[in-house]
Amino acid sequence: MSDAAPAGFSARAEQAIADARLQGALDNVTALFGSRRAAAFASLPNADAVRDAARAARLNAVAHLGEYLERFEAKLQGNGARVHWAETPAEANAIIVKIAKDTGCARAVKSKSMVSEETHLNAALEAVGVTPVETDLGEYIVQLANDRPSHIIAPIIHLTRQDVGRVMEQRLRVPYTDDTQRLCATARTRLRGEFLRADMGISGANFGVVDTGTIVLVTNEGNGRMVTTMPRVHVVLMGIEKLVETLADLDACLKVLARSGTGQQLTVYTTMVSGPRRPGDADGPDELHVVLLDNGRSRILAGETAEILGCIRCGACLNVCPVYRNIGGHAYGDTYPGPVGAVVTPGLRGLEPWRDLPHASSLCGACREVCPVRLDIPRMLLALRRDVADARLQPQSLALAMRAFAWTASRPAFYRAASRVMRAWLRVRAHDGWITALPGLARGWTQSRDFRAPAAKTFQERWQERAR
Amino acid sequence: MSDARARILARVRAAQRTGFVPIAQPFRAADTEAGLKACATDELLARFLRELTAIGVEPFVEPTAEGVRARVAQLVGDSAVLRWDADCLPYGAGDRLAHAADGASPRDVQAAAVFGVTGCDAAIAETGSLALITGRGKPRAASLLPPTHIAIVRPDQLRQTMGEFFRERAAELAVAANCTFVTGPSRTADIELTLTLGVHGPGRVVVIIGPEE
Amino acid sequence: MAQRVQLFHTCLVNEIDPDVGMAVVRVLERIGFEVDVPAGQTCCGQPAFNAGFHDDARTVARHTIELLDRTSGPIVVPSGSCGDMLVHQYPHLFDGEPPMREKAARVAARCREFSQFVAETAPDAIGGTLEAAIAYHPSCHLLRGLGVREQPLAAIARVAGATSVPVREQEECCGFGGLFSVKNADISSAMLDRKLTAIEASGADRVVSCDLGCLMHIGGGLHRRGSRVRTQHLAQFLDEAQSR
Repeated sequence: MSDAAPAGFSARAEQAIADARLQGALDNVTALFGSRRAAAFASLPNADAVRDAARAARLNAVAHLGEYLERFEAKLQGNGARVHWAETPAEANAIIVKIAKDTGCARAVKSKSMVSEETHLNAALEAVGVTPVETDLGEYIVQLANDRPSHIIAPIIHLTRQDVGRVMEQRLRVPYTDDTQRLCATARTRLRGEFLRADMGISGANFGVVDTGTIVLVTNEGNGRMVTTMPRVHVVLMGIEKLVETLADLDACLKVLARSGTGQQLTVYTTMVSGPRRPGDADGPDELHVVLLDNGRSRILAGETAEILGCIRCGACLNVCPVYRNIGGHAYGDTYPGPVGAVVTPGLRGLEPWRDLPHASSLCGACREVCPVRLDIPRMLLALRRDVADARLQPQSLALAMRAFAWTASRPAFYRAASRVMRAWLRVRAHDGWITALPGLARGWTQSRDFRAPAAKTFQERWQERAR
Repeated sequence: MSDARARILARVRAAQRTGFVPIAQPFRAADTEAGLKACATDELLARFLRELTAIGVEPFVEPTAEGVRARVAQLVGDSAVLRWDADCLPYGAGDRLAHAADGASPRDVQAAAVFGVTGCDAAIAETGSLALITGRGKPRAASLLPPTHIAIVRPDQLRQTMGEFFRERAAELAVAANCTFVTGPSRTADIELTLTLGVHGPGRVVVIIGPEE
Repeated sequence: MAQRVQLFHTCLVNEIDPDVGMAVVRVLERIGFEVDVPAGQTCCGQPAFNAGFHDDARTVARHTIELLDRTSGPIVVPSGSCGDMLVHQYPHLFDGEPPMREKAARVAARCREFSQFVAETAPDAIGGTLEAAIAYHPSCHLLRGLGVREQPLAAIARVAGATSVPVREQEECCGFGGLFSVKNADISSAMLDRKLTAIEASGADRVVSCDLGCLMHIGGGLHRRGSRVRTQHLAQFLDEAQSR
């Protein structure tokens, strides 16, 4: 499925709202993860201090990114890993394709990597005859169904088990079942074969630890371990922003990541990779390659939304956002949905095509409240809205209306005159004090609400009368 | 490729001069373990056992080395086993598994094992986690491929928190190929948020804690 | 001599529902304050600010800051969203203009949202009687922007006969969001729908909130549904209770 057209945000949102089954699924996932997150934080000692530490760990790294990237690279190289740098998705894919060619890899397995979605890595590898098999269960189903993930943590929340059963029946030629245990067992058996046969394992990274040159992966299924253990070549594709300086920093982040994402203290597997197998190791990959991707992150770093690079991809903001709850992940149109997506997508992909995203928020602040690293997403959405207006990407009629509003609202006499006209115009349209249809831009209001007709006298007029 | 490196680092450095990163400098690491009291072994053990049970691990506490060996034998019966090298397993647990597959066995033999038997490098009481660091005689496959993973823990390997473990073993972690924390059996809830165990990793994890030596 | 307070009435109160302003005055006067209304108020400028037109927002903000800075004493604001704008956003709008920033900070320090002000100065002076089941709606800028959580509930609790009923997902945004309500009407309406269903299921007779924007949105939706649940600003509720 190709990238959704950015300009179609409204249409996608409308479609999602009308999809009753999606609405039910979104209710379930957000309610479940939301309540688990709350319980997990309630049981964390020193929760506020830990969140502060995690925030400091990530933002400190973002603030020293240049120095830290060089140190990180040096440590990895010292342990026998190869480090590659890619400015664009095409470059990252080309690097990984070349690694596959140079190492004679024909079969690849992948554990979950959102960055690889950003770069469309799978298509690039398929083009040279290396089809990477997704091994995260949800991503495996997405791959089989030629679909796209709709939530950072629970990628197939938009599919029922019947959907999954049908996908497996069609694509794997197994008898149809909607029994979840059996579906998982099928996936386990199929993927076990892939793990053992694969030459190359491709993973993302949740964190990179600068002091020790360590890639950290958190998973629940075990596919992350398989992918980073069984094949002879391990490739890590990660964004340049994912660093923390010390193991203590990592510890703070690990204390909040699983709690925020799924409500667990820790995910089942926390894998720390610092190099290829050492002489004498019983198993492990012969080669470790780390591909560091920029793809717009350095541009984000240069501006007012640099803070978003501290995101640890837990998904908590999605689960609490009333907008996400209603429109789901696909409506955001790109790799990262929800509040974090609304900030990061314009930064990574360009403001102009994605100018609708920063406005897809009522600025309620629930995201900032739950974010484990306390990212101020509303502040960043407002900054992006300002950038959109400054770049003249808003309709000219709106810009003119705002200019007229500012002019009038700084001149009380004119303001009062304009108000008199506006109120009279509204009152004429009212029946029993209510207006049921408004024209133009205001049509959206009366789509679902009536509009209270304004009073005959303003507060100021009544106040003056009272004073006499 | 080095061009890309130079360009990226140049952009990053330039960006650091203009970007707004709301963090107080100088950065001071907050004390996330403030108020943490040191724990005696029996307290640590009690906490560890509680956490193991909460995450679905089966714990056994054996008061003797022979008890540990007998427990292992009882669990595995005559099923195929993949284990760490005998000299990496505590309490002589490897002695009764002399013919088991190990790191040197062919992969298909390893993959046929029903039980994986390992020791650990540390056991984290706060989270019920086992820390497994790669090294000679300690195949990762033993805690990953078989449907059941049996881990043998010595009480002196217990640590209260992951942070403690990191502080102690930082130098080792910086050079080991891999350190994995195992916190319970493999699981997924990707399909309709319904929990299923043992999707790729072991669906059953057993921890045997032996006596202090 | 009674303490003077300045009332920043807000544009919505002025244009749409002046009763709210009159109720605020009466409640404050009963407590023992003298209320002044600085002349020439128009708007805090938030619509332009939220839409990304910061220069336009600054034009309006300058006017508002100057007229408020000519006064002294506490500034009472019967709106969480305008309150948050004045307290948190105004100083940042003038980051590039230190003299104005200083004035903005001075004004910001004097501002209190209505329920916050009452709780700080005379929580026990609130009382009265009104039998009603109240669904309290915490507006987002009040709750998460200004950190005002308990004060409105405490005020409602002091009215004999009034019960605050729990509402499912009570702290979730109602979907107003200013221009969001028309620019993203589909999403706003979906969010409103959930809120209205939760309110109707709560058994409340009325919805009380500290923000007129939310009340217009919720009230407009309730009216469209033909609901008998009415909406009321906290000040109107307290005024009604005290008048009986």
